[in-house]
Amino acid sequence: MGRVVGIDLGTSTSCVSYVEDGKPRVINGPDGDPIQSSVVSFLDDGQILVGNEAKKHIIHNPERTVYSSKRLIGRKFFSSEVKKAMAVSTYSIVEGPNQSVRIQIDDRQYSCPEISAMILMEMKKIAEEHLGDDVDQAVITVPANFNDGQRQATKDAGTIAGLNVLRIINEPTAAALAYGFGKGLQQKVAVYDLGGGTFDISILEIGDDVFEVISTAGDMYLGGDDFDDRLIDYMAERFMRDHDVDLRHDRSALQRLKDSAERAKIDLVENLETTISLPGITQVNGSPTDLELTVNRNYFGQMVHDLIQRTFKVCDEALQNAHLTVEDVDALILVGGPTNMPIVKEAVKSYFFKEPKDGIDPEEVVSLGAAIQASALVDSTAGALLLDVTPMSLGIETAGGLMDTLIERNTPIPTEQSRVFTTTRDGQTAVKIRIFQGEERFCKDNELLGEFRLTDIPAAPKGDAKIEVTFEIDANGIVNVTARDRETGKARSVQLNVSGGLSEEEIQALKERHSGEDEGVQTYKPELQLE
Amino acid sequence: MDAETKQEIITLAKTIDAMDYYQILKVRKRAFTQDIKTAYFNQSRRFHPDKFYNEDPRLVEMVNKIFKRVCEAYKVLSDQDKRATYTKAISGDDGQKYIRYNPKLYARLAKADKPEDEGQTPMGKKYYQMAQTGIRNKDYKSAKINLQLAIKMEPSNQTFKERLAEVDELLKMRSKKV
Repeated sequence: MGRVVGIDLGTSTSCVSYVEDGKPRVINGPDGDPIQSSVVSFLDDGQILVGNEAKKHIIHNPERTVYSSKRLIGRKFFSSEVKKAMAVSTYSIVEGPNQSVRIQIDDRQYSCPEISAMILMEMKKIAEEHLGDDVDQAVITVPANFNDGQRQATKDAGTIAGLNVLRIINEPTAAALAYGFGKGLQQKVAVYDLGGGTFDISILEIGDDVFEVISTAGDMYLGGDDFDDRLIDYMAERFMRDHDVDLRHDRSALQRLKDSAERAKIDLVENLETTISLPGITQVNGSPTDLELTVNRNYFGQMVHDLIQRTFKVCDEALQNAHLTVEDVDALILVGGPTNMPIVKEAVKSYFFKEPKDGIDPEEVVSLGAAIQASALVDSTAGALLLDVTPMSLGIETAGGLMDTLIERNTPIPTEQSRVFTTTRDGQTAVKIRIFQGEERFCKDNELLGEFRLTDIPAAPKGDAKIEVTFEIDANGIVNVTARDRETGKARSVQLNVSGGLSEEEIQALKERHSGEDEGVQTYKPELQLE
Repeated sequence: MDAETKQEIITLAKTIDAMDYYQILKVRKRAFTQDIKTAYFNQSRRFHPDKFYNEDPRLVEMVNKIFKRVCEAYKVLSDQDKRATYTKAISGDDGQKYIRYNPKLYARLAKADKPEDEGQTPMGKKYYQMAQTGIRNKDYKSAKINLQLAIKMEPSNQTFKERLAEVDELLKMRSKKV
């Protein structure tokens, strides 16, 4: 059997770690950097690059370089997030079957799990080269507020990449694990996780080797990318004021703006002021025109002030759900690249009235925690125990479109809840049930996970058939549905149709396509196109 | 894994359906909140499925069942309100019926404790009844008017207000469908 690793599959960057002699360690990529961009670039000659190498192609190959695809994974084509991504993305996002999202590169369409699989394969390859051994098992992390569809899609990505996904764990939980592992702590900790695309806050209680998540809350639509967008808008508006041209409508100019916004943001970590210089960014009246401007840290702080405040609203919610106040928190852990920004760090410090724990690399800590969990799963005598919760309530649709909550949010997982269903018409042989996740009273305001049908019910007068349906959330946070006849105890067939997801056949087809390519992703050539 | 643990799991998986949450967590009914947490951590150390990741699938299934019940017990007993309702319910004559916390069953129990306020004045009562008839017949428009009249009679009646909010939502949905 091969080695096990932990992979942080982030919106902007990914990182892989393993455990050696009881200590987790990150693994450097081919360029010596453990932090690899979550970018896939399809070159003209059919080569596919992944990671930091791929990111270099983002400017001159914008239509065929895919970044931040995690924002799209497990989402439906008509969701607002996908619409928002389509407006700003330089690659083409199209609708696939079953309301899914596809990324169009030339005449080929890729599903989001497939793009994620390419990143995972690269991480796998990095680990294999370092360890000199096969890597075939992994724990992969996801934002705590990922719903069932997004978790399932991430797991599918792992399968396509040829990995046995031991467990999907939450990023903040992994970070807490890396922080408290082997220290014998008795503490309440807050993990403030501002990633590239999502924000999570988790409140945990550590009791020696047990890590209990008390509550978790998040904002799916808030991350470092939004900070970049503010800078992009600022630059574009300044340019528009001077030249009456909107750079955001020009794909290659937009990509350069994106790139320099990110650089400026990083520059402002160390410096109080940064200069953005983009010579010949576009043609104005037929002649190349430059963009040049200076931004100082304070002004940038004002631009993103409301974004930071939004995270504190989420923190309030998480603390409230945990029945705690900031004074009860013993330790503060910062996770995610954007928490390196002094303006973020200062604001978080004053919200929690405490210094964040130092000696924790916000970009590596999640992957380290994933590696600890991976090794604890294969060797149950060692390691720590995670007691996580479900981030969202799970329910079914009842009369009038009301949500009937079966499992409340912040319920420890794994968990299950049963409900008895019956027929409402004489001779009815099938019952359709729609499952939702979310906190709103009406289902239309929550996320539809899928729809399932109880079939082959023997024709009988209405109300006669009693079918007990069990909704289970497993340790991965993934929902399973089973049904049995209440009288006979016989299992009933359940057809679950997860919206936006890949079918089992599609996953297997993709997996086979990717396997047997030992030379890695770089020479990978697509042969099969998804319907 | 030793034979003793294995036997314990097999026995527990069989008997857990008849155990109440206090028995599952091995705590006294008067235990402090902190003791409940400690008990949950201890039971998790013993029965968390992660500790049995590579064991026989049949055993893993049993452990899963046990651990899910441990979580369920903790979820209810660590919540002051739920714990109070639960403890009262299982102490009654038909206590066995309530040994698993079920939101629907308990909602009914709570309702029995606190009946709906169907009106204190004769006119309030009358309008509310007419509104109820309207809701049953899916005539939400007339239900809304009757509820508004009922609220005029009894401005502080919570049941009336809740019902009106529901009817408003139903009307909104209906207009969207058209």
